Amino acid sequence: MGSNATGASAPLNPAVEILLKFVNEDLLADSQEKVAPDTLLFDKGRIDSLKILRLIAFLEVRSGQKIPDELIVMDRFRTIETIAKNFPDR
Amino acid sequence: MNILNSRASTLRHHDFPISDDGLLSPGVAETRLIRALQSRLREMALAAGAEERMFPTVIAAEILDRSEYFQSFPQSASAVNSPNKTGSYFLSPAVCYHCYQLLMNSALAGDTLLTCQGRCFRAESANDSHLWEFTMREIVFLGSDGFVRAQCDAWRQRTARWAAQLGLTAKLAPATDPFFVGETRGKKLLQQIRELKYELTAPGLVGTDIPLASFNLHERFFTSRFEVTLTAGEPAYSGCAAFGIERWCMALMAQHGVNEALRRVEESDDLR
Repeated sequence: MGSNATGASAPLNPAVEILLKFVNEDLLADSQEKVAPDTLLFDKGRIDSLKILRLIAFLEVRSGQKIPDELIVMDRFRTIETIAKNFPDR
Repeated sequence: MNILNSRASTLRHHDFPISDDGLLSPGVAETRLIRALQSRLREMALAAGAEERMFPTVIAAEILDRSEYFQSFPQSASAVNSPNKTGSYFLSPAVCYHCYQLLMNSALAGDTLLTCQGRCFRAESANDSHLWEFTMREIVFLGSDGFVRAQCDAWRQRTARWAAQLGLTAKLAPATDPFFVGETRGKKLLQQIRELKYELTAPGLVGTDIPLASFNLHERFFTSRFEVTLTAGEPAYSGCAAFGIERWCMALMAQHGVNEALRRVEESDDLR
């Protein structure tokens, strides 16, 4: 769990906030453990093969662009902050 | 039907004819090279402390089903039909599935290294490196997450050193399995994003790069399905290094010719 998990002091970037809400309240709705903006998202098997497809679909709707498979790599998906930076809303 | 075929004509000068259906019948020198590669890889696995096992060429459908093979690779499996047998069998698509069958419903005594070589069959679309039947040497690692990752790293490095020793121009890079589209796209993307698979590739006989070996972290995918646990009762981790022997032969022949390739393989060490 990242440092912002229990209530960050600094306000979140709106794109990070929207993505964080989607991941914690939708993707991980059935999970006890929630993530923070800087949590390593793909640790501990919390994102499975169906959840990653839902995450990509969410990003594609937000950005209005199809994300090619070759861009779906760890450097762009490490944390929610990284994803928000690499796949900005339209 | 032309059984021995058009692809053979492009490769005949290497005495390495491959039928349209991807069946190889190598010449005398090429057979010697394949045997030398098999021996050297076996010695490397034994020198690394792996315990060698032998398995049948056929595998029960139930084992592939448990491994989700049919979902991931629906067009690759080759069925075996015999009116005298009651079970449903396929030609093995990889040798490591037998290791999981061997260890099914057991607790590992400790970190475990197994190695096996077998004829494998994958009915993939034909091209100059996709043989329907080929020889695979695998080293399978089972145990703690740390042990499996360390073994996978060690085999990646050892194999890259061996390729360099053989004078092979080869590349090591993250890769994904050729999963089919649909629900397996998620598996492929997860494998890609988590860098669970690396491949060593080199130019083959017709110039395009072909995978020679893969280094795979399976996490708890197989061990949870086959109920292979650590002594504490939780699922073990697993991974493997897999070598496609005929592809090493193709890459070496392309880069050095068969006789020089044989000399280099015989002079290489076991990279202990």
